Amino acid sequence: MASEEKTREILKAIQDAVVGYDEETCERLCSSVLEEGIDPHRAVVEGLTGGMERVGELYNSQEYFVPELLLCADALNAGLNVLKPHLKIEDAARKGKLLIGVVEGDIHDIGKNLVRIMFEAAGWDVYDLGNNVKIERFVEEQKKANTDIVALSALMTTSMLAMPKIIGALKAQNPGVKVLVGGAPLSQEIAQRYGADAYAPDAVAAVKRAADLIG
Amino acid sequence: MSMRPDMMSNKERIDALLKGRPIDRVPHFPFIPGFCARNVGYPIAVMYSDAGKSFDAQQKTMEQYGFDWGPLYGYASYGTWEFGGTIKMPEGDYEQAPAHVTFPVQSEADVAGLQLPDVKKAGCLPTAMAFSHLQEKSDTPISVICGGNFTIAGNICSVETLCRWMLKKPDLVHALLRLATDHIVDLVRYWVETFGADRVIPQMWEPSAANYILSPKQFERFVLPYLQESSEKILAMGVKHILYHICGEQNANLPYWAQVPMGDPGLASLGEEVDADTAIKYFGDTCVIIGNIDGKVILEGTPESLYRLCTETIAKLKHAPRGYMMCSGCELPPASPPYNVYVMRKAINDAGWYE
Amino acid sequence: MKLKQDRMSSAERIDSLFNYRRPDHVPITMIAPTFSCRNAGLPVRVAYSDPQLNFYAMQWAAEQYAWDQAPQIVRHTVVEAMDFGGDVRLPEGEYEGALMVKSYPVKSESDVEGLKMPEPDKTGMIGIAAELGRLQEAHGLPVTFVSRSPFTIASNVCGLQQFCKWLIKKPELCERLMKAAFDHTFNVLRYWADTFGAEKIFVFMSSPSESNQVISPKQFEKFALPYHLLYHERLKALGIKRFYFHVCGEQNLNLPSLADAPPWEHPAILSFGHEVDLETAAQRFPKDIICGNIEPAIIQTGSPQQVYELARTTLEKGKGIPGGFILSAGCELPVASPAANVFAITKAVDDFGWYAE
Repeated sequence: MASEEKTREILKAIQDAVVGYDEETCERLCSSVLEEGIDPHRAVVEGLTGGMERVGELYNSQEYFVPELLLCADALNAGLNVLKPHLKIEDAARKGKLLIGVVEGDIHDIGKNLVRIMFEAAGWDVYDLGNNVKIERFVEEQKKANTDIVALSALMTTSMLAMPKIIGALKAQNPGVKVLVGGAPLSQEIAQRYGADAYAPDAVAAVKRAADLIG
Repeated sequence: MSMRPDMMSNKERIDALLKGRPIDRVPHFPFIPGFCARNVGYPIAVMYSDAGKSFDAQQKTMEQYGFDWGPLYGYASYGTWEFGGTIKMPEGDYEQAPAHVTFPVQSEADVAGLQLPDVKKAGCLPTAMAFSHLQEKSDTPISVICGGNFTIAGNICSVETLCRWMLKKPDLVHALLRLATDHIVDLVRYWVETFGADRVIPQMWEPSAANYILSPKQFERFVLPYLQESSEKILAMGVKHILYHICGEQNANLPYWAQVPMGDPGLASLGEEVDADTAIKYFGDTCVIIGNIDGKVILEGTPESLYRLCTETIAKLKHAPRGYMMCSGCELPPASPPYNVYVMRKAINDAGWYE
Repeated sequence: MKLKQDRMSSAERIDSLFNYRRPDHVPITMIAPTFSCRNAGLPVRVAYSDPQLNFYAMQWAAEQYAWDQAPQIVRHTVVEAMDFGGDVRLPEGEYEGALMVKSYPVKSESDVEGLKMPEPDKTGMIGIAAELGRLQEAHGLPVTFVSRSPFTIASNVCGLQQFCKWLIKKPELCERLMKAAFDHTFNVLRYWADTFGAEKIFVFMSSPSESNQVISPKQFEKFALPYHLLYHERLKALGIKRFYFHVCGEQNLNLPSLADAPPWEHPAILSFGHEVDLETAAQRFPKDIICGNIEPAIIQTGSPQQVYELARTTLEKGKGIPGGFILSAGCELPVASPAANVFAITKAVDDFGWYAE
């Protein structure tokens, strides 16, 4: 059993490995978490997620861009793969459930992938439908997974026109479901007009908006 | 029947602008293929699969709404098909342009085996060439449109992969950018050999280098040198002007873009993310500025709000040192209300005359 | 867009036709309240629910396509099934372009007995139409009153199928319904004249249920024609001068009896579908302004070149008509018409529709 001091040192090193997008080090440190008898749940929350929160800050301050974010997520996932089999069931209590996809007519999914990464890092259960997702599929999958939130992404002005229809269909099936929208052509005003519950300008903000929505 | 009569033909206006002579009014530059399809009642795919119909639909729409310049053929996912991947044509209510289905490069090993495409046969190029013959016949500028170097590289292996490799395997990124750059030069040379350097005005669209994705430092290291290289080689062929569509949020890249030679004058097409003063600061002395009416306002704004945006933009850019052409900040959304597109030309009519 | 410069304002152009003088060029008029909404990026239901937006959408389309609003043809002032208490809803979705009748006010013979006259200033869409009228007045346009013929209104109160059966089996029921339709129309028109002044009103009427796709010329003569005669007596009495009659659909067989007893004051604008030849129309109604008749389905589904050609041949036939000519679609401009096809009509007028100075 590692001392508190040693534990903190390792967790800090995990954070640094995520921030430094060092996949191998992150994986190795997570293995040492298990060897040292450190609570794997704590390693996920304070190490990996904590690291990704710092990545979010760097993204917001325009130090990190997409290439860095993608590699940080790879590092996080490498660590998570080591720790996951050792998490207890009660640790798995997640923050919320999210269905996410790029709307019909649009294949641009980097933005959506970043949002997914930030949600996963923040402890959400994420169901990713990919890109070019038809209206009916959003409705069916929301029903199946019973998610708290559906997140819709679009890069093109043409495809964003599908959003009000998707939102209408989702709300008709389940008036309680919350819809979050984002993507380059969207704005707060358009989101409101389309009947969305919230708009997020970037991946970091998306997680905050979603947390607010489910209270 | 209410517009003020032009004093110059479209061709005279564009020629004069490019030669630095006075013109009667601000030209209206087209970035409108999807809208043209809707305007004449065609599926959008026709604009990319059938040179004749595409040209005709654009010509009719441009005449209707008073656009200058002439019809154009190109799309942002250029490179995927030409380097051996597959694309699909747009379909349904919400798709706007061809999109990649499989990338030619799916693993690191694929990069080594990648060949330069045959510019006479690859992908969309036979259609693009047929289109350019129609441009030649109708005496409008002859364009060859492809992605910028970085965007083509992203269309070869996916932007996500390119991003990962930039940090982990920069050699692979440089290898792809080398191929993209050589291909651009090959492509433009083929057009120049066919039509003559005087007639060809190449266009390169560079959405993937936006700061939504790259940092300015990454732009400087990975994008700028290749842009400079292909530009210099194209200008050395005798081409007079190159149009760069500096797509999306690229404010932090502009100091580097200003170092890319684009001809005399160059043609700098900017998104709504760049304000007029910044545009003039970086490109005013060397380029005709093209842009940058926000597509969202064209699509969803009221005619009054769009008219205001257009007249204000004209007022700010009309006297740019090398000239200004009004245009949407990126492709005009295909579902834009016809009246809003009319309003753009009306704004030129009311605010775009040089007295 | 590079169109020649007008020598007349739109109002002067229409006035000159009503005075049997040649205008600068052939005017273009369209029945296009829903197309105009779509052209401005608005939902089709706006044509029924938002007079302000609809008014501006029509103004914008008129400006964009160089249409003359002779008059500005809006949705119906009198909405038969709705005014008489039927269940009607606004158009929805991508394919509906008109009001949808869910149930007719008259479903059985006994309902005819119990039919109540609507309140002329409150029922149906009259409030919305009046607001449109006020906007037209404020912008110096004639105030339109749009209705269908009494025969058509009556058929829409009980459903056309039922009405056709009653024409043979229970003609007295048809007569009662037409009388109610006629009285209601004039109750509203009187309210219109009181509100706006008769001299400002331009009456538009269409008569789709009278077409020979539905009834015989004998039935037209027996049931429909008498109400046309009555209609114009009453218009005259009210002091309303300008009248636009859209003789909708295939009505060739009705034309002789209509021409023998032309009930309206000349000139009126008589608009025909593509089913009626313009030269025939001009021969039958030499003292009226003939309007028409480009086939709407071609405007919606044809190529710009096809529409341009059709507009050109229509102009060739119509331009020299002695009583005057207005180019128009043969019926309402389809809501989904591609903008280039609509512009092709304008371009044809610019290329072939000018009269010498």
